[in-house]
Amino acid sequence: MSNGGESATGALGGAEFPLDVAAPGLGARPGSPVREAIRRLRASRTAVLGAAIVATLVLGAIGADVLAPGSPIESDQSQTFAPPSADHPLGTDQLGRDMLSRVIHGSRVSLVVGVSSVILALGLGVPLGLIAGYLGGRVDGLVMRAMDLILAFPVYLLAIIIMIMFTPTAGLLGTIKVVGAIAIVRVPIYARLVRGSVLSIKEKEFIEACRALGVRDGVILLRHVLPNCLAPIIVTTTLGIATAIIVEATLSFLGLGTQPPTPSWGWDLKANVAFIQANPWLSLFPGLAIFVTVLGFNLFGDGLRDALDPRLK
Amino acid sequence: MRAYVLRRLVQIVPTVLMITFVVFLMMQSIPGDPVVALLGDAYTEEDAERIREAYGLDRPVVEQYLIWLGKLVRGDWGVSILTGRPVLQDVLVRLPVTLELVVLSMGIALLIAVPAGIIGALRRNTWADYAATSAAMVGVSIPEFFVGVLLLLAFSFGLQGVLPSSGWIYLPGTCPNMVCGVSLWGNLQHVLMPAIALGIGRAAILTRLLRASMLEVIRTEYVTTARAKGLGERPVVLKHAFKNALIPTVTVMGLQVGFLIGGAIVVETLFAMPGLGTFGIDAIIARDYQQVQGFALITALAFVLINLFVDLLYTLLDPRIRYA
Amino acid sequence: MTRPSFPTALIAPLALTVSLLLVSSAALAQTPKRGGTLRVSYGNEISHLDFHTAPGYEMMWVAMNVGCGLVNITPDGKFVGDAAESWKISADHLTYTFKLRPNAVFHDGTPVDAAAVKFSIDRLMDPATKSGMRSFYEPVHSVEVLDPRTVQVRLKHPYAFFLHMLAAYRTGLVLYSPTATQKFTLEERKQGKPGAVVGCGPFRLVEWVKGGHLVMERFDKYFVPGLPYLDRVVIRTIKDPVTEMAAFKAGEIDFIASFSPEHIDTLKAQSPNAVIMTGKETTPMLAAMKVTVPKDGKPMSKERAPHPIFGDLRVRKAIGCYGIDRQEIVRIAFKGKATPWVGMNPPGTLDTVDVNAMCPYDPAKAKAMLAEAGYGPSRPLTFELMADTEKSVFNVIATVIKEQMARLGVTANIRLVDKVSWMNSTLQDGPWDMYVEDLLSLITLDSNAYLSNSTSTWSHPRHNDKRVDELYARYAREMDAEKRKAIARELQEFMVENMYWNNISGSPFYMVAQPWMKGYTYNAEFEVHYERVWLDR
Repeated sequence: MSNGGESATGALGGAEFPLDVAAPGLGARPGSPVREAIRRLRASRTAVLGAAIVATLVLGAIGADVLAPGSPIESDQSQTFAPPSADHPLGTDQLGRDMLSRVIHGSRVSLVVGVSSVILALGLGVPLGLIAGYLGGRVDGLVMRAMDLILAFPVYLLAIIIMIMFTPTAGLLGTIKVVGAIAIVRVPIYARLVRGSVLSIKEKEFIEACRALGVRDGVILLRHVLPNCLAPIIVTTTLGIATAIIVEATLSFLGLGTQPPTPSWGWDLKANVAFIQANPWLSLFPGLAIFVTVLGFNLFGDGLRDALDPRLK
Repeated sequence: MRAYVLRRLVQIVPTVLMITFVVFLMMQSIPGDPVVALLGDAYTEEDAERIREAYGLDRPVVEQYLIWLGKLVRGDWGVSILTGRPVLQDVLVRLPVTLELVVLSMGIALLIAVPAGIIGALRRNTWADYAATSAAMVGVSIPEFFVGVLLLLAFSFGLQGVLPSSGWIYLPGTCPNMVCGVSLWGNLQHVLMPAIALGIGRAAILTRLLRASMLEVIRTEYVTTARAKGLGERPVVLKHAFKNALIPTVTVMGLQVGFLIGGAIVVETLFAMPGLGTFGIDAIIARDYQQVQGFALITALAFVLINLFVDLLYTLLDPRIRYA
Repeated sequence: MTRPSFPTALIAPLALTVSLLLVSSAALAQTPKRGGTLRVSYGNEISHLDFHTAPGYEMMWVAMNVGCGLVNITPDGKFVGDAAESWKISADHLTYTFKLRPNAVFHDGTPVDAAAVKFSIDRLMDPATKSGMRSFYEPVHSVEVLDPRTVQVRLKHPYAFFLHMLAAYRTGLVLYSPTATQKFTLEERKQGKPGAVVGCGPFRLVEWVKGGHLVMERFDKYFVPGLPYLDRVVIRTIKDPVTEMAAFKAGEIDFIASFSPEHIDTLKAQSPNAVIMTGKETTPMLAAMKVTVPKDGKPMSKERAPHPIFGDLRVRKAIGCYGIDRQEIVRIAFKGKATPWVGMNPPGTLDTVDVNAMCPYDPAKAKAMLAEAGYGPSRPLTFELMADTEKSVFNVIATVIKEQMARLGVTANIRLVDKVSWMNSTLQDGPWDMYVEDLLSLITLDSNAYLSNSTSTWSHPRHNDKRVDELYARYAREMDAEKRKAIARELQEFMVENMYWNNISGSPFYMVAQPWMKGYTYNAEFEVHYERVWLDR
């Protein structure tokens, strides 16, 4: 398996990749570096734009019930395929459901899946990376073999088979399954990221000093090692949310993600491609929604990376 | 060097074995029995037993896998439960389609990304750079299937249907027998939109990578030294910065293969192309174990071989990198 | 007055001759042209080519052209001879004597004689063959060869649909050449190995690439001289209706054998000259409810217990009979192009009966019955509605039903599954409450029996009522058409009263042809024949 991930510098694009270069000293003295970073963040146009988009989306998702003109799952059987109008700004679909409501509510699913899957991946990957990097030796070998196994798989092959194993369903349970499938596939990224950071810190003198002073390993891990990985973790997480949203949309597009009637952008896009000639907006708007959401997270993530590690600008 | 290549080629075996074994295990644990679906209304226990026995489905999982492996070594990829046809044949028929799609889309990606990345790096913070980076940002955020939908709207359902919305016409020599539509021009018409849909995302990632890597390299010492030696900007850029920027770029492209495969599945589904992507997903959904194994095998092989290719590319790009 | 000159005298007969020539050349324009390749698209894969055991319409539509049988059926229900040129039925309806054509041969040259007929029927009846058609031959006692051209079938009891069965139940009887069947293995036949698939039909199998295409070409020694007109028929599998439409519009295919009803309007808009063929529906669309579950929890167990929700007849009637607005479903899912139908026998099937009046849409009554069964605001009814992803219309109907259930205060949770999972659940007595699906097409009520689970392995609701079996048996054995109609009515009404299966509407069926395809006779899914087709180009 190519070792590219370890040697690549932080200047990577697109979907997030392991940033193994820990921003020096970020966690050592909280205070001015953090303020510095925030200052840079605010100055960066991309970050601000991205943050604005994300904030709007989050607010929209939270307030979906209020914002949406109608219900995303209630069908008005007399109004199927209605063109955009005052009542239905984005028209209605085959079952008479208001498309605007579906798009707005769809943001909930996308955001929840995106954020949850990344958090879950973090929750599993970070401890694994910490343990593997810090303990080294056989434990390291074992954990990394497992991570390599997952990474050895083409992402979608694994995600698709996992979803079929779980059986895609609608509602909360279905969403949980999708979150799980995406998280499993993303764990190795965080594990390797953290492990790399740990490895680079491990041999530093002050860690030796801590040990000599009798500080327990766990404490060292949490108070000294982990903060140093924070910057790359944050950036990777933000970009990871963007990737997770695309993966969920793709799985739903293939029919293996979120199931109806739960509103899902990917599903709606696929379902309405058949009617694209007469009702193009039904496919267009879910697609646009995915694009804007992912764009927001990517912009923000990019801005974060630039702010946290200005050398890379 | 040769020893390194040989060693890597040998290493392919355990990786591929591992992937196919895990896929095998996973498929077995998926609910739903293909034998039931196969027999349909004519289902009887005896029939089911007979079929299961014929395909060895009643044996323990590990044994089944070893049997599959044994056949594989002799060049037999197995026979599908649902279709009764040899898997290898189906794979070979579909391979050229996906291959063409992927190669063409990577070509398009490179065509866009190389100039865009270089311009972005050289003309930093000018409007050209902003244009390139913004376009790249858009390309990275837009899912392949949406690009496909937009292309469909523009060229199939708009503009008098200049390009066909789906289906496939084979390149001369890739059609198994006389009855497919075969024509170079027809083939190009069918592959153009899918390749663009798949290529745009890759182009965007490549552009960003290239630009960032080049910027990184440009700042490093030895480039400054080269400049100090009096070499002009162009040779400096092209010879040193670009070549070295390619290393992380190429690395990441290797890592991207997984997403490329997913993108191919999605694009093939949207454009109803008879390639490996649709083959794989149909097989998984139908629980056709043999076909899924064939799909996993060829996917794993492609994945691993591309990574090897990427690693070998390093030696070309950076003479300092040598493998013992 | 002068006599008309000679040239003038010629004008009249000349004019007459010329006009005769013009008229006859116009008539010649309608004479079938020989030659050409018909390009057909099927929406599903052909399963395999052992006609006696393969499932699926697509296989049947190949079997009808590569193979031949004894008789065929016309759209208005008359029987015409296929390999049999004539037949006699004894007065007691127990003996059928078929006289075969002298010139019928198989594609391998062997004659279609009485021995071949006996061989084929015996093979179908043999349990070892495991043919899906076997149950239809239950009434057959024996087959005898009287002479090379005469074969006699003796029945155990009268069977009103014997000829229907031979003609069009699934593939109908497909004659196998004893020589070819013994020479090639089952696997070779299934895979369509050249030479292994031998029939006596108008077309000979040339090649089959599964998932790709099937090619058949004219059999020169077909027993109807002059037929088929076509040189060749090429069948492709195009699963996606949008792709099919595009190929049709581009003129890449001539005929779509079964087109998605959802897209028919789009196709009409795209290809205004398309010839769209349809008729009264012969396929039922169901919202079936499970009636019993295995008592011990083991699937397919003989011991049954009532389904916790739908085991109660009141609930079945409340939900299935009065609680579903069939008109609304048809309007939304089919854009009005289907018939709301309560009877098990679809509107286009023989002896169909309109029992819609037995189940008018009555939400108030439905709520009252649910209350009677113990459901209400304090104990709301919730069930799971399963639909598979094979056709998007199932999900549409399920969504409408969910909506309609909500009006009753009932919650229906839709579970979408893939076809494999669906088949596993329904065929293997898995857990499900209600599903939306269309079942096989019915040419007669007898051809697809909704029997009790003691007689039919695939009775999905797994009801236990043997009276259904009795009604079916009586129906099949009644030789008098009028009395049969009465039994059919009795059976339909019985089904509705007990809601063992729950019909919503017919499921429309469409075939689409290019304007230059001529000579095709539409007979729904039952008879798809290409031998009289010719291309007017």
